[in-house]
Amino acid sequence: MTYERGLALCLVLEIALFASIGWNFFTAGNAGEIVRASAEIGLLALALTPVIVTGGIDLSVGSLLGLCAVVLGVTWRDAGWPITVAAAAAVVAGVVGGGLNALLVARLGIPPLIVTLGTYSLFRGVAEGVTAGVRNYSDFPESFLFLGQGRIGVVPSQLVVLVAAAIGFWLIVHRMAVGRMLRAIGFSPDGARYAGLPVGRRLGSVYLLSGMCAGVAALLYVARLGQAKADAGTGFELMAITAVILGGTSIFGGRGSVGGTLLGLATLAVLQNGLRLADLPAELAGVVTAALLLAALGANRVLQGRSRK
Amino acid sequence: MSLLRLQDVSKAYGGVRALRAVSFDLRPGEIHALVGENGAGKSTLVRILTGAVEADSGTVEIEGRRVEHADPVAMRALGVAPIYQQPALLPDLTVAENVAMGLERGGPWRRIDWPGRRERARQLLARVGADIDVDAPAHGLRMAEQQLVEIARALGADARILLMDEPTAALTDREAERLFERIRGLRAHGVGVVYISHRLEEVASLADRVSVLRDGELVATREMAEVDRNELIRLMVGREIQALFPKRTVPRGDVVLAAEGLGCRASGIHGVSFDVRAGEIVGFAGLVGAGRTELARVLFGLTPADEGVIRLRGAAVRISTPAEAVGLGLAYLPEDRRRHGIIAEMSIAANTTLAALRTISRAGFLDFAAEREIAASYQQRFAIKAPSIDAAVATLSGGNQQKVALARWLATRPSVLVLDEPTQGVDVGAKAEIHGLIVDLAAQGLAILLISSELPEVLGMSDRVVVMRAGTVAGGLDGAAATQEAVMTLALGHQPRLSA
Repeated sequence: MTYERGLALCLVLEIALFASIGWNFFTAGNAGEIVRASAEIGLLALALTPVIVTGGIDLSVGSLLGLCAVVLGVTWRDAGWPITVAAAAAVVAGVVGGGLNALLVARLGIPPLIVTLGTYSLFRGVAEGVTAGVRNYSDFPESFLFLGQGRIGVVPSQLVVLVAAAIGFWLIVHRMAVGRMLRAIGFSPDGARYAGLPVGRRLGSVYLLSGMCAGVAALLYVARLGQAKADAGTGFELMAITAVILGGTSIFGGRGSVGGTLLGLATLAVLQNGLRLADLPAELAGVVTAALLLAALGANRVLQGRSRK
Repeated sequence: MSLLRLQDVSKAYGGVRALRAVSFDLRPGEIHALVGENGAGKSTLVRILTGAVEADSGTVEIEGRRVEHADPVAMRALGVAPIYQQPALLPDLTVAENVAMGLERGGPWRRIDWPGRRERARQLLARVGADIDVDAPAHGLRMAEQQLVEIARALGADARILLMDEPTAALTDREAERLFERIRGLRAHGVGVVYISHRLEEVASLADRVSVLRDGELVATREMAEVDRNELIRLMVGREIQALFPKRTVPRGDVVLAAEGLGCRASGIHGVSFDVRAGEIVGFAGLVGAGRTELARVLFGLTPADEGVIRLRGAAVRISTPAEAVGLGLAYLPEDRRRHGIIAEMSIAANTTLAALRTISRAGFLDFAAEREIAASYQQRFAIKAPSIDAAVATLSGGNQQKVALARWLATRPSVLVLDEPTQGVDVGAKAEIHGLIVDLAAQGLAILLISSELPEVLGMSDRVVVMRAGTVAGGLDGAAATQEAVMTLALGHQPRLSA
């Protein structure tokens, strides 16, 4: 709790800083921009929170986003499916990709770092193979682009998706019996097994969910940019993991919160947007992100370390 | 002058007092045996002597000089060398390399003097009378040979004090006898040996003096020649067994759990048959490695059976995962509390309800009020000493942790409770409380399987005793027939241990 408050304070200071040095930073329009730019990574980060709470990791989400985007393009334009059916196919592709991770991690017991490092290459490779690396799908119908570019009242449409996902994951992690099991698995997989918990099934479900969210994130991405290419979502997995870790979720499993992830995400998104509007070099974003992350890990270690022997 | 002298050494872990004002001395050229029940404080004493833990109070003197800051490196430098029952050699290095470990000076860039290294290994092994090829890799050696290599290394480091903790546990009779000769041979060099063993015969034939630890106190030190086996046992146990256990006989109900020819190749058990009735406590005795924990793991679905039948109230059931076992009303309190019995970082409340999440959730959502109510009721009923049910279980003493682990299983309302070493590593007070709880549970109609390596506990708590040996049931003993001697006879078998 103290950690999350510290992070919230950081975010407020950050906003105050950019509001004083940037042009047009502290406006409703820019707030919408920040939400739009961070919704896809936000969705991935939300889904990664339960994964990391179990002590696992999913490096494949950025690549899977790319593959799902390509599936959307192929089924809609090449196969001529209606856009809603094509969108559903893209999400199904995400579930299948997540299912592959789930199978390898939960059933075969291969370490998630290795599994998802493999599927990280696999998904991107398939996406590139299907499009020969160059094909670009565009000219999606207006009704679909609304998902990434439209507004409901003053609210950017992807914010609705993000909020719904945040509520869903908050319920799972903090309010449901499943979340308690995920924590127990994260602290001690053996201890969870000896308590009679269905460890394999629970582990599988978080990777499945992560894949599904990559599929939904692909829809938001394509709708926002109006084009689907094999390189969609490159590097998103690292941004999402950074947001989760910055949010105070322990990479060793057990500890973590959805609220923290949202704060971590906002901190990163505001930073990138603010630096751009303040005409500061974009390269600075990486350096500041690294500094923030290390400071956060240090603070977390100090806060938690006191209770350990 | 004493080689080693401990004065009023005390040590507590959390709330558990492991040693109380222990005074002990070791003379040069002496073999001094240390005996006591499990949990009497022997291993804590060894840890203090090796520098692995520091005493809370009291003094340690080596050759008349007080040891100020004990850590493993300092204690080794002072000539204290531990020899464990599982030798700690590096398996892929040769004998000569293992002997050289810690003996050779110089930094990482120094050239290795291979002929010198081999020669010294040969000399040191000759001193312990071992004929071992110094170029052989350590993993190819037998356990007895590995121990001799360790002793040789200790001598090479000018060790004056050897700490031997159950060194013969993994040896055959002949190997053990040879080891004793080597140990006796060390006397002439002025080396003192602290010798820990459960085998009183060994102690009687080997030691010059014997000290008895009980519940963390050193109750007696005697010349070996002046004490007999029965007196040693009396000193170790120190009380009448009957007075200690709150066993009540309750009316027995129907057979709840039965095993018929149960086996699991992967965990080395076969042909296990027994049954347990409601309200009955069936003790499982046997030597370490006889297959008792393995049997419990099979019953709980951790390593599913591949032969035989498990019956619950007469109906054959298949148990292939712990989740299925819990669903059928089985509960298993595991042996290794810290790794398996609790989740140390989680709160008392979360640990208490972890196996019974279904009972505190509606449509998948946790009912936090119900959870707190359950946890608080067990805290009160089991007298779990903790500031609140939100405290992390890691902060509790061993006995209270075990009560939380037990509460977790009772919260599932099981019909069969398998207890694996339920009082291991808990202090005497908590032990009595846990015994009282077990008896209450049987009175409420639970069928209880009690696995324990403490013979008095098995005998004092059980209605019947099943003795296991080498992965199967060696025999059953009813009520009065279950005596220490009868159990040990079955546990050891009729044949003497295999000779090399």
